[in-house]
Amino acid sequence: MKWFYIRWGGVLIIAAIIGVLGIQRYYRDVTAISPDRLLHDQPTQTVRVLGRVEAGSIVKEGEGGPVAFQLSGQGATVSVRYLGEASENLRDLKTLVMVGKWNPTTHIFEAEKTSLMPNYGFVTAAYLISLLPMGIFLFNMERKVALLYILIKEEKVYQPEEPLENR
Amino acid sequence: MHFFNVIRWIAWKDLLSELRSRENISSMFFFALIVILIFSFSFSLDPKTSKELMPGIIWIAFGFTGIIGLGKSFLAEVHNDCMEYFQIVPAPKGAIYLGKFVGNALFMLIVEIILFPMFILFFNLDVLEKIPMILLIFVAATIGLSALGTLFSALTVQIRAREVMFPILLLPLAVPIFIGAVEATRGVFSGDPLPLYLDWIKLLIVFDAIFMVVSFWVFEFILDY
Amino acid sequence: MVVSRLIAKLQRYEGWFGVAAGLLIMVGLYMGLVTSSPDYYQGEVVRIMYIHVPAAQSAMFAYTVLFGGSLWYLWKRDPVVDNVSHAAAGIGIFFTLIALITGSIWAKPTWNTWWTWDPRLISFAIMLLILVGYLMLRTFLEDKEKEATYAAILAIVGFIDLPIIHFSVEWWRTLHQPLSISTRGVAIARDMLIPLLLMSIGFYLLFAYMLMVRTQMLYLQHLLEAKRGRMLSKVHL
Repeated sequence: MKWFYIRWGGVLIIAAIIGVLGIQRYYRDVTAISPDRLLHDQPTQTVRVLGRVEAGSIVKEGEGGPVAFQLSGQGATVSVRYLGEASENLRDLKTLVMVGKWNPTTHIFEAEKTSLMPNYGFVTAAYLISLLPMGIFLFNMERKVALLYILIKEEKVYQPEEPLENR
Repeated sequence: MHFFNVIRWIAWKDLLSELRSRENISSMFFFALIVILIFSFSFSLDPKTSKELMPGIIWIAFGFTGIIGLGKSFLAEVHNDCMEYFQIVPAPKGAIYLGKFVGNALFMLIVEIILFPMFILFFNLDVLEKIPMILLIFVAATIGLSALGTLFSALTVQIRAREVMFPILLLPLAVPIFIGAVEATRGVFSGDPLPLYLDWIKLLIVFDAIFMVVSFWVFEFILDY
Repeated sequence: MVVSRLIAKLQRYEGWFGVAAGLLIMVGLYMGLVTSSPDYYQGEVVRIMYIHVPAAQSAMFAYTVLFGGSLWYLWKRDPVVDNVSHAAAGIGIFFTLIALITGSIWAKPTWNTWWTWDPRLISFAIMLLILVGYLMLRTFLEDKEKEATYAAILAIVGFIDLPIIHFSVEWWRTLHQPLSISTRGVAIARDMLIPLLLMSIGFYLLFAYMLMVRTQMLYLQHLLEAKRGRMLSKVHL
């Protein structure tokens, strides 16, 4: 029984480490900030900005060249210069995430990539709802097997109180 | 004993005991009547909606009636310790199944044929010239229901929670019968041309054939234990 | 008793199945959640696919194992095979539930509804009902041999019925409301296919591992009952 709990403790620790790594990665790479936070914090590293493309603000500088537009959210608006390859997601009134760097001298957000609005709530729910019960289900079954082994070892073989021929 | 003789005698025995006691058919009949009344109260049917809902109501009533009748199909045999005698019948065990099945299907059909004029009366259905088609649907769906129902009745008759388990096992598997019967009946009632709902009748017949064969084969294992 | 010897032999490598399943699922999860690209139309929500599809496949595989085990039991009366079928039914319920719940969560953001009368959904729900009925039937029967036989019969009849149910519901759906929601699988890109494949294999292995553990559990339960003298039927020793 001791080894059973040690094994499952190991599994639990691995799961916890993976969970912590996942949460860290979420905050580093996936979570997006709003334009007002961008203007307020003025970060130097690559960030993801979530906002809505202002209607009629898209200006294309030549075929396949950079695209300039206004991205707004939380009551603030930033000018964005998109240098990446042309994307169909870049439309008026579309909510999307721009990945890039803030240029503090020109006050323009220089984006290299677009991605859709992250919708992680449903994904997280689905994975938690399926993986957690799976672990509990497996744990219960294995625990029962281990307990049954012990019970069977300790149980004496059933003997009728009297031999049949004496009855 | 000859195979068909076994079928005939078992079906005849069931019919005879039913003719003498009349408890099965009368309980099925009154149950269906109550179901119809409850439905007409709870939907407050006017002629327009009744045409939409009618096929569903008919088949819910018939389905539950069938469950009442089919569930009791092997009860008398257990009470009178006849299951052991079934085991030693010198004929394929499937013959016993077929005999029981014929008896059950006949009960259900009799109840349905008595009830159907009441549906016509209560809900002002205008279907008199389509009766042969309706009868065909009734027969096809009833064969399917009693093919599965006889098998599950034998499965559940010896367990404690018989009344609960029988519908729980039967109804999910009977979904194609209900869909097919309701759709075909709706087609007939709304006066569609035959090709529109012929496929549903075909589905019912295929279902009947498959489950007659499967039940015939597995029934042997039920009686062995 | 060919099958019980095979099962005993496989049981010795039980731990390897578990480890392999765990590794494959971990790699598959990493690739599916991190390195694969989001879907063009559905965005990040498509990542639910990496758990929904394998769970559904495992559920169907569980029912197939249940069907095969039931046929084999009726033929050879091998009590270990009956334990395998019993275990497969329990695990099948679990995977069916996971598939239904994750499918429901996936349907909400993509189709804006928790539930739709889609043939596949209904077939899965009915499969769940049949499996629950199967386990209920087993709990209500006292005699072990009778329990195994009756349950096997129910499993066989249900397995034959499932394609008919799927077919009739599909037909019924297309007649009534034209499918407003396309339920075809999304066009799967290459970097989605590899994690999906890994997760599928991982789930199959996980199912095999669970099946072994659960079979062991049921077998030991019967053994304990027999040792206590409550069950003197020689077959289930």
